[in-house]
Amino acid sequence: MGNKIIMNPVTRISGFLEIQVEVEENKIIDAKCGGMLFRGFEKMLKGRPPLDAVYFTQRICGICSTAHSIGSTSALEDVLDIIPNDNDKMIRDFIHGCEIIQNHLRHYYQYSLPDYVKGVELQLTQIEMHNDYRLPENLNKELANHYLDSFRYGRLAHEMLTVLGGKAPHNHGVFVGGVTVNLDASKWIKVKSTLAEIKDFVENVMIPDVYVISEYYSDYFENGVGYRNLMTYGLFDNYKEKQLFFVEPQVFIDGEVYVLDSDKITENIQKAWFEANQIVQKPTELTVEENANKEGAYSWIKAPRYDGYVMEVGPLARMILSGNYKRGISTMDRLIARVLETKKIIEIMEQFLERMKFEPANQRIYEFPYSVKGKGLADTSRGALGHWIYVQDQEIYNYEIITPSAWNLSPEDSKGLKGAAEKALIGTTIKDMAYPVEIGRIIRSFDPCISCATHVESDRFAPMDIRIV
Amino acid sequence: MNCPMIQSKSNTAKKLIDIAIKEVKEDERKKINLIWLEATGCAGNIISLLNAERPDVTYLLKEMVSLKYDNSIMVLEGQAAFQQFIDTLETEYILVVEGAVSIKDNGKYSVIAYYNGKPVTAMEAVRMAGEKAKYVIAVGTCASFGGISSAYPNPSQSISVVDFLNREVIRVPGCPGHPDWVIGTIAHLLAFGKPVLDEKNRPVMFYGITVHDRCTRRSYFDQGIFANKLGDPQCMFLLGCDGPVTKADCPVRQWNGYVNWPIEDNTPCIGCAQENFPDGMEPFVKY
Repeated sequence: MGNKIIMNPVTRISGFLEIQVEVEENKIIDAKCGGMLFRGFEKMLKGRPPLDAVYFTQRICGICSTAHSIGSTSALEDVLDIIPNDNDKMIRDFIHGCEIIQNHLRHYYQYSLPDYVKGVELQLTQIEMHNDYRLPENLNKELANHYLDSFRYGRLAHEMLTVLGGKAPHNHGVFVGGVTVNLDASKWIKVKSTLAEIKDFVENVMIPDVYVISEYYSDYFENGVGYRNLMTYGLFDNYKEKQLFFVEPQVFIDGEVYVLDSDKITENIQKAWFEANQIVQKPTELTVEENANKEGAYSWIKAPRYDGYVMEVGPLARMILSGNYKRGISTMDRLIARVLETKKIIEIMEQFLERMKFEPANQRIYEFPYSVKGKGLADTSRGALGHWIYVQDQEIYNYEIITPSAWNLSPEDSKGLKGAAEKALIGTTIKDMAYPVEIGRIIRSFDPCISCATHVESDRFAPMDIRIV
Repeated sequence: MNCPMIQSKSNTAKKLIDIAIKEVKEDERKKINLIWLEATGCAGNIISLLNAERPDVTYLLKEMVSLKYDNSIMVLEGQAAFQQFIDTLETEYILVVEGAVSIKDNGKYSVIAYYNGKPVTAMEAVRMAGEKAKYVIAVGTCASFGGISSAYPNPSQSISVVDFLNREVIRVPGCPGHPDWVIGTIAHLLAFGKPVLDEKNRPVMFYGITVHDRCTRRSYFDQGIFANKLGDPQCMFLLGCDGPVTKADCPVRQWNGYVNWPIEDNTPCIGCAQENFPDGMEPFVKY
């Protein structure tokens, strides 16, 4: 006899997610990830001033708003044919790095750790959720204390972001052309000293902590594997110098690495609450309408695919594809790669600091061509983020966004391919059916952001002659 | 045979411990419960709250309130998590809502839990918790005024918590709400009851002035010296700054460890704490 487990809310993530799994003889035989929030940002963006996309799209997501400022700014720069100078690029990438650090700290300590560590001190989190806490008492206590300590470092990462970007979440300083801050020695030394403090915590506390967890939960190297197809749009890859470089755009399919071809990206709405003339569409041609009552659908997340393949994106994909991580792909590898990446990002940010010049922001007045299309593809905290914009007559005519969590948390497509996290769940052994703790651990290893993944809805995209830049 | 005297003695220590535990628990009960309900929004206000310092979120949760429910940071998951929400409804509690209330198709566009075999919409949860709460605080512009979740053409038919609930709601707008605004409002409720509110139910202590009133670039405005583009150090009124109509103490408080704020970063105020944000505040940047 099979058993069905429905988990909703999946807490300690951003947004609303429902997981349904079918279990037979303690093994997950089917899984469904449902994004449960819809706001329709792309419909809202239609008709708005193009430059407003930078501040507008950030509001898709409270935890990774900077990511959307990077995506939208890159798309607008593509439209306007602007390449920021290296100094502005470094300051902007530094701002982005602050968010990645903040996200990774928050995810590892506030979202993931309570799955493995018992009784952190906050009143809310005293409750024991299950009976699979394995750390010896002294180590458990130590890590529970680090949970509390980590609040400070996540906050400091946002403070650095604010020194250069005005405020966080929802920064102002990332803008078309580069950044708006006029960097000076006072700001520079403030972020430099703060970064050193965070680095100390990451190296001496966060990294040892993840190895403690991986030692006592080593069976999590065996589950949550998924398709083993990885993708990145590239991060810190626009510099000539090697010390500033992290990872370039690429895909890894069935054991082979290929150069990324963004024309191979499609979205499939078979099991999503959307209607359209075509089930599979390109992000530049999307025409969908929402329908919360669609038969057989179970998610507000569309299913993005690359050349028909389901791709995993995120820190593990970046760390493997950049040659910085080799152990493998699993629940625990995702946690370790995220923590190790935090250090890697900090090291590159230190290199940016060494090279930054105190020059005024390189801003100017922008005018848009009559009709123009552009795209901004960038890797962000949770992986590959794409913004596609179509500007006509000084207004946004169409806007489409595919977020990292849409790649990882997508539903089944019309070929019957399950999403990446769904696939990672299937085959997992659940030790204790009364406490199916494996589900939350595997899902959280992807760091789901459902606010992002379910932001959208596009409007009709009329055929016309378009200049593609 | 059992001697009742011995039995009673051996139970004395246990009884004392029980009394002590009960007292501790009662002391714990003196802290009012808090439900932080994420509705139709981006969950940016809870992220902002975690940036609080002096008091930080640890102090808030240890000394001020007993947080019973929040999707982003609670340990419990699934039905056990939502059970805690349900149980708290029978106690005295403050309700914080972030995010607007999507009412399209009876709330189907925001489902926050699956409880006793049924999906629970954010709309239902706001109603359930909103009716019984001692105080309701709408944190962020979406909960306060509809905000970006209700931006034209409002695909999810989102409305503010104030419009949805038929009761007094304190508004703490901002995109996101500043952690000081949130914790300060809660502190006032705990120590002195309801703070002085303006005509839109915002605490006057945070929303009594416009950004323009105390702007660090005010003297440029008064002298008619204006910036031409972002990055310039002068008044950004002609670039679309919404400071003159936006009530919030950003210029004197500043953000994230009080290190900066949007205008000091050479960008205009986009009126994110204001009633008609975003539709009435655009273009954010006017060239």
